[in-house]
Amino acid sequence: MLDVGQGISAPYCAKILAHMGAEVIKVEPPEGDEARRIGPFPGDTPHPEKSGLFLALNINKYGVSLDLASDDGAKAFKSLVACADIVVENPPPDTLEAHGLGYGTLRGINPGLIFTSVTPFGNRGPYKDFKATDLVIHHMSGHAQGLLGAVEDPDNNPPIRAGGHQAELVGGMASATATLMALYRKRMTGKGSRVDISSFEAMVNQHISGLASSAYGRPAPPRDLAKVQEAASGGNVSAIGGILPCKDGYVAVSPREDVQWERWLGIMGNPEWATDDRYTTRDARQRNSPSLWKLLSEWSSNYSKHEIAQWGQEQRIPCFAVNTVLDLLHDEHLAQRKFFVELNHPEAGTLKYPGAAYRFSHAELSLAARPAPLLGEHNRSILENLAWP
Amino acid sequence: MAMNDLPLNGIRVVDLSWIIAGPTSTRFLAGMGAEVIKVGSARRPDPSTGSPPFQAYNQSKSYCSLNISDPKGLELVKQLLAISDVVIENFAVGVIERLGLRYDVVRAHRPDIIMVSSSGTGHTGPDKDYVAYGSLLQHYTGWNSISGNPQGEPVAGGLWADPWVGMELAMVTAAALNNRAITGQGQYVDFSMAEALSAALPGAILDYQMNDRVPEIMGNRDALYAPHGVYHCAGSDRWVAIAITNDGEWNSLCHLIQRPDLGVDPRFASLEGRRKYQDDLDTAISQWTIQYEDYEAMRLLQDAGVPSGPSLDIGRVFDESQLRDSGYLKPLQMRDGELRDLPGLPWRFDGVEGPNLTEAPVLGQHNEYVYQELLGLSLDETNRLVEERAIY
Repeated sequence: MLDVGQGISAPYCAKILAHMGAEVIKVEPPEGDEARRIGPFPGDTPHPEKSGLFLALNINKYGVSLDLASDDGAKAFKSLVACADIVVENPPPDTLEAHGLGYGTLRGINPGLIFTSVTPFGNRGPYKDFKATDLVIHHMSGHAQGLLGAVEDPDNNPPIRAGGHQAELVGGMASATATLMALYRKRMTGKGSRVDISSFEAMVNQHISGLASSAYGRPAPPRDLAKVQEAASGGNVSAIGGILPCKDGYVAVSPREDVQWERWLGIMGNPEWATDDRYTTRDARQRNSPSLWKLLSEWSSNYSKHEIAQWGQEQRIPCFAVNTVLDLLHDEHLAQRKFFVELNHPEAGTLKYPGAAYRFSHAELSLAARPAPLLGEHNRSILENLAWP
Repeated sequence: MAMNDLPLNGIRVVDLSWIIAGPTSTRFLAGMGAEVIKVGSARRPDPSTGSPPFQAYNQSKSYCSLNISDPKGLELVKQLLAISDVVIENFAVGVIERLGLRYDVVRAHRPDIIMVSSSGTGHTGPDKDYVAYGSLLQHYTGWNSISGNPQGEPVAGGLWADPWVGMELAMVTAAALNNRAITGQGQYVDFSMAEALSAALPGAILDYQMNDRVPEIMGNRDALYAPHGVYHCAGSDRWVAIAITNDGEWNSLCHLIQRPDLGVDPRFASLEGRRKYQDDLDTAISQWTIQYEDYEAMRLLQDAGVPSGPSLDIGRVFDESQLRDSGYLKPLQMRDGELRDLPGLPWRFDGVEGPNLTEAPVLGQHNEYVYQELLGLSLDETNRLVEERAIY
C-alpha cells in the first residue's frame, strides 16, 4: 500500500491497514508530510521528526521521499505503483493528476489497483471544489452544535468543534473501511477500483440518528437552554443522562430506566424530593431534567468522581468518572488489556502510543513493528531496489 | 436489484446486535452487498424499534423473529450460523455465553465463521463488566476531555461513540473477511468501544508524555492555524466557520473583508503573529461576517479560496443541497406511504452501482425466507415453532 497522504485522513487510513498487516510505504514530498509541522512537540518546539501527531499516525510504515514533479520522482512512483495493491491520497483536487499521476494513468500501469481518495466533499456535488478543514467539516455536519449541548445564551456561546481532529479521523476510518471492502472485492473478482470518500458525508453519517429524525420531520434539538424544557416535553431531547460535579471533577451517569433510577436513589440515601411528582416517572424526570440535575449536583458535589462511579457500577448503573488522558495512561484495565504500545523512535525517544480497539483470536495485529519513519528513511532500501520501467 | 458487483456480494451476516453501534455496523455491510439477517425477538425488542432512527440503522436488512432464550430457538440460530460467514453481537459482557453462543460453540457449527463481539470496555480486564452507554464512554475515555471552551464545564458530547464504533466494526469485519479469503481461517474479534474512543486521541496522549500536561482545551481555535473560529452572521445563532491555514488564504481574506491594512501589517504576516493577535483579528472578521447570512458568507469566502462553511444544526444539515446532489441522501419509498430522504454511505466506487439501500424491515418480515427457504423447514414445522414461541 502506498500512502501518498498528507496530514491526517489518508495517513490514518494507511495506519489502520498497517496494523492489519499491510506493508505500507509512505511517500512524502521532499519537505515532508504536513503533519510533521502540526504538534504536539516536546517543549512546544517544532521539529519535523518529533510531531506527536505524525509519530502516532505513521507507526509501522516505511518512508520514502519523492519529488513527484520531477521526472525521476514520477518514474520511481510509477514503479512503486506497479507492484502495489492500494494507493491512498487526500489531495486538494487533481494534485496527483497535475503530475500526470492520476487514477487514469496509474490504472494503465496496474489494472488491478485500488485507488482511494479522501477529500472534504468527495468528487461530487456543488461543493466538490470547496476548501474545508476539520473545523469547517465539524460545523457543517452539525456535530459542533451537539457537542456543546444547550446553552443559556446561544448568541454569545457559539457551537464548538471537538478537539483532536476528529472529523479527519472519521474521514480516515471511512477510507479504511471502504478500502478493505474494495480489497475483498478484488480478491473475489480480480477487479481494482477507484474509491472516493467525502469526509463531510462521513461526518454527516456519524449523525445517522438525527438524519433519520429529520427525515420524519422532527425538529433539531434546540440550542437555547430555555427551549430545552419545552422540547423535552415533546420528546425531542433525551436528558436523562449527563455529568455531575464532584469534589475532584465530574462523573457521567445515566440512570434512565426505572429500575436503574430506583437503585440510584438508594445510592443517594433515598432523598425526600424523589417522591415529588416531577420526578417519580421516567417521562416526568425527562420533562423536568433541568431542575432534576440541580438536585443531583447538590448531592454529587460531596463525593469524588471515582467513589460515585464505583457505587454506580456496583448497582449496575451506567456511571463513569470523567477522565483525561492522564487517567488513561494510569488505567489498570487498559494496562491489563495491553492497550498502549511502546515504541522507541531514534529522534523522539520512547513513547506509549494508543493501540487498537480490537483483538483477533487467530491473527497477531502489527501494532508495534516499527516507529514512524524518518523523512526519506527508506529511500535507499526501497527506491534502489525498484524495477525501473 | 442488479447490484452484482458490490464488494460483499455472497457474504451472509447474522446480526444479533441491537440499539445503535451494532446495527449501524451491519448497515455498512448490507449497503455494500452482504446479506444481513437481523435476529430479534418480541420478548425483548430492539429498543430503537418504532423510532425514526431504526429506519436508518436497519436499512437493507432482512429481519426474522427468533427467541434465543428458548432451546429450540437457540437450535435455529445455530443452524443459521452454520450457513453464514459473519455474526455480530453487542450484548453486555457474558450475555452471549449465557445464551449458549460462545465462540467455540459457534465455531463448532461453522469453523470459518467471523464472530465480532463488541462491548463497552472489551471482553477481558478488570472492568469488563462495567455497564455502559456510548454517551458516557465519551467521558470515561477522555474523548470529551480534549473539547470544550477554555475553563468551561466538560462538554455534553453529542452522540458520537455509537456511530464511530459502528463504522470501525464494519472495518474490522472487512479486515477479517480479507484474512479469511487468504487463509481460510475464521476469527473471534474482541472489540472495546472505550478503546475505540481512546485510540482517537493520539495527539493528546503524546502531548501528555512529551510535556507532562493535559492538553489545553481550545474551543474552535487551533494550536497552529489562525484566525480559526466561528464568526457571527446576520440572524440569531447563525455562524460561519473560517480556518486560515496559510498566508495565501490570509491575504485573500483581508482583501475580501476590505481590510488591506491587516494584510500588510507585519504583525500578522506569519502564523505565529496571527495566533498571537487572534482576538483582534476575530473582531475585525466578525465586523464583516455580521453583515451576511451564513451561506452567503460561505459563498463569498469560498469564491476567495478561504476554507469556510456555516455551523449547522441537524435540521439544516438534512436540508443541505450538497447531500442530495452528491447522492448521499436519497428518497426511499416507505411503507407508511411517504417518500423519505434517508442516508446512504459516505463513499462511492467508480463504475459500481450502489450502495444497496432498501427500507428497514419489521420484526418477522423475513421469517418465511429464513426458516423455509434458507433452513429448509416445512410450513408445519415453522408454525409449530411459532406456537412454541421459539420463532417469536
